[in-house]
Amino acid sequence: MWKTILRRVLIMIPELIVLSVLVFLLAKAMPGDPFTGSINPKADPAQIHHLMKINGLYDPWYQQYWNWVVHLFHGDLGMSYEYQEPVMDLIKQRGANTLWLAIFTMLLTYFIALPLGIYAGRHEGKWQDTVVRVYTYVTMSIPFFVVLVIGIWIFGYGLNIFPTSGSVSSTASGLGGTILSRLGHIILPGLLGALFGTVNVVQYLRSEVIDAKHSDYVRTARSKGVPMKDIYKHHIFRNSLLPIAAFAGYSITGLLGGSIFTEMVFSYPGMGLLFLNAINYRDYTVITALVLLYGFLNLLGTLLSDIILSVVDPRVRIE
Amino acid sequence: MSLIEVKNLKVHYPIRGGFFNRVVDNVKAVDGVSFSIEEGETIGLVGESGSGKSTTGKAIIGLEEITSGSILYKGKDVTKRTHRKQLKYDEAVQMIFQDSMSSLNPRKRIEDIIAEPLRNFEHLSKDEEKLRVLQLLDIVGLDPDALYKYPHQFSGGQRQRIGVARAVATDPSLIIADEPVSALDLSVQAQVLNFMKKIQREFNISYLFISHDLGVVRHMCDKIAIMHRGRLVEVGTRDDIYDNPQHIYTKRLLAAIPETNVNNREQNRERRLKIEQEYQNEQSQYYDADGLAFPLVQISDTHFVALPKESLNKQGEVNG
Amino acid sequence: MDKKTGRVSDISEDDLKRLEKEAAEEATPSRSRIMWNEFKADKPALISLFILVAFVLFVIIASMFLNVHKVMATDIMNFYNKPFQSGSFLGSDSGGRSIGQQLIIGSRNSISIAIGLTVISSSWGIFWGLTSGYFGGKADLVMQRVYDFMMIIPMLMTIIVIVTIIPHYNAITLTLILSAFYWMGTSRLIRSRTLAETQKDYVRASKTLGTSNWKIIFREIMPNISSLIIVDTTLSFAENIGVETGLSYLGFGLPLGTPSLGTLIANANDPENITQYWWTWLPAALEIIILCLSISYIGQVIRRSSNASQRRATEK
Repeated sequence: MWKTILRRVLIMIPELIVLSVLVFLLAKAMPGDPFTGSINPKADPAQIHHLMKINGLYDPWYQQYWNWVVHLFHGDLGMSYEYQEPVMDLIKQRGANTLWLAIFTMLLTYFIALPLGIYAGRHEGKWQDTVVRVYTYVTMSIPFFVVLVIGIWIFGYGLNIFPTSGSVSSTASGLGGTILSRLGHIILPGLLGALFGTVNVVQYLRSEVIDAKHSDYVRTARSKGVPMKDIYKHHIFRNSLLPIAAFAGYSITGLLGGSIFTEMVFSYPGMGLLFLNAINYRDYTVITALVLLYGFLNLLGTLLSDIILSVVDPRVRIE
Repeated sequence: MSLIEVKNLKVHYPIRGGFFNRVVDNVKAVDGVSFSIEEGETIGLVGESGSGKSTTGKAIIGLEEITSGSILYKGKDVTKRTHRKQLKYDEAVQMIFQDSMSSLNPRKRIEDIIAEPLRNFEHLSKDEEKLRVLQLLDIVGLDPDALYKYPHQFSGGQRQRIGVARAVATDPSLIIADEPVSALDLSVQAQVLNFMKKIQREFNISYLFISHDLGVVRHMCDKIAIMHRGRLVEVGTRDDIYDNPQHIYTKRLLAAIPETNVNNREQNRERRLKIEQEYQNEQSQYYDADGLAFPLVQISDTHFVALPKESLNKQGEVNG
Repeated sequence: MDKKTGRVSDISEDDLKRLEKEAAEEATPSRSRIMWNEFKADKPALISLFILVAFVLFVIIASMFLNVHKVMATDIMNFYNKPFQSGSFLGSDSGGRSIGQQLIIGSRNSISIAIGLTVISSSWGIFWGLTSGYFGGKADLVMQRVYDFMMIIPMLMTIIVIVTIIPHYNAITLTLILSAFYWMGTSRLIRSRTLAETQKDYVRASKTLGTSNWKIIFREIMPNISSLIIVDTTLSFAENIGVETGLSYLGFGLPLGTPSLGTLIANANDPENITQYWWTWLPAALEIIILCLSISYIGQVIRRSSNASQRRATEK
């Protein structure tokens, strides 16, 4: 098993390298430069030229790339041209916000999906199952950003229950108050994300439960007098846990992608908004850093899930 | 010259392991098999699951890659692609599969299924083709109205007959039948086998009849080869094998044929136990250190047995 | 090769025709028939289909009467008209442009792009899956590596970056860019099914019967996975509508001046707009919801029809 893991990790390295080159070249290909717009429009072209020179923007691409990589390994992601701050700091600030939202959403997703999946499986064919089926059908059909817009319209602006922007209220004070306020800002987007991210887990659990219900080992347990409740708890649920954990890794890609929309709709100051801003300002240090980071997180997520799956399923394990 | 001569055929599958997926060992599915098939002959290839008999058949027809050895068709080695094309080997050798349901494309009509080889190898007009398909259907005893139907509308035995019709379409010299009746009911088995025999008589086709069922093989085959763990353990005519089995494995297989005569039940059972005992005791003698059989030794014109070296040193006279 | 002259040559033309008719009658209903029956048995499915077809037709026809430039020209006089007022059906936006007309053109654009995206990405995904699953071996390994790598790239971000790079782009370029990223799901599905089919004996039989590999893939295997393809394409279509509209909503979709359902929903970005001038974005949002639900439902019904045990229509 360790061999599989090691092999996967080794494959990761060239993938990362290719990704970083790709990202770098893409960002470089973007028209415009970071200086012409942000500085005084009457600025002397010679001055801009000079700025670009000292920032190494006229060097050959592979040299710029190499410089960038070297800096990467020192934890230096460069300076944001827009904010005039180290990118690393920006990511730390915004990253925390995005992280909280992502974790909250993921936890909530499982919190909703697990019982729902089991419930649907238990009542297979009956109206409860149909309700869950309709729910999954609706959530997987509608594009997520539409849900977000309608959600904020109804619950944010309309009913005024939830705040509609920012990550924390400016009037929050004290540790408890801040945490509460932060939570308040996360709840609506997190809830919406969770409600609409349950499809895979629910469907998987449901089919697992149905299969198990008809399986021999469950029938044996029942004939021995074990109550169904316990059977669900001990056998069925336990067996499905690890594959579900594997889902978590794969879902990181979706979570990160979706966070861009969420942060846009809710004006939530996370990495997604940072990215959108950076694009508009041609702040390519931020852009490259973020794309690489997201790519890396995707890689990690997939790796984690593959490892978990290989532990669970002996067929997948390559000795 | 034999129609087909298989010489020292080996089909090995590499097992990869270790960190860099290097080849660490081989699964020796077929390990040095040699035999020949004459025109119009039916030779049975018998063995249990995993003995390599199916792999041998697939290697001959080209579905499996050969690790080493040669297959001679009319004297020329068909493992070389140029020879294959020259001799039109692909047309001359066809196959009948075990599972009649999965060997016929469920989305195609019978007409198209049977016509497939015709379209690939011959260029007939639409009418000629239709005529030929009807002829083939007739040969296997199916009505013309089968033409436009789909495989699922037929029973297992009928489907297998369609498979036979398809195999015969290009007038092959050799048909490899891979467990053609194993999946059928006993009553249907006889029907299909009889059609196969009829076709053989009419068109002078040779069969390589692969099976695990010695009872069926007895009905169909002139010559029989017994395979075990990738090697041949005994080859001989039908009489040689059934009346004078020499290898312990052959004896064991024969003993496993169910008897329909219930009167001698006790005696049969004792005989079987005795043979099983003999097998267990002498296993180490008849198989080498790797558990594989020894090379074949000729003990008569037609009879070959994989005897252990010790028995050879005795006066060459092996009693049966 | 002629010894087969049989007694069968005296079957006549008429007999053949009769046999063909008989076979057609007796045969189990064709797949399209089964599908149609399934639709008839399921009311919401019929309604969805009807809504979909009617709407698409309406949009296509209506948009032919509209001139994009005129629609998008600003007309301050009509600043934020409320619906059903001063002659505009759905009101107008900050530039005085009619929402109703923008909706029609935007629908046409968004749906066309979604269709184009689905066609291109599905075709590519199917081809990739079939080839990878059938040939296996080295080809499969290479294709898997490519697949793995593409899964790592943060799709949305990369698309946005690419969109900003390309100097002149239009709906077609956009569709192509999107197709480069959205073929993966389909290919994975098709590949696993192809792997299973390739193991079956009829594929082996075709090989021994002399059929070439490509013919086997497209003539033998593909028909057997046709229902999978249809269901996947339909469901992808529903998903793909969200792709372009989402991008346009963020501002990185269709170029400026081209209406899309996404750009209309983007009107909701302003906190004032979203509540006060709700008619600028709500119709587009509702339209997307209805469209996606309908298409998705149709896809489910088709999937059900290909699985005999789940069918609701009774056999004739």
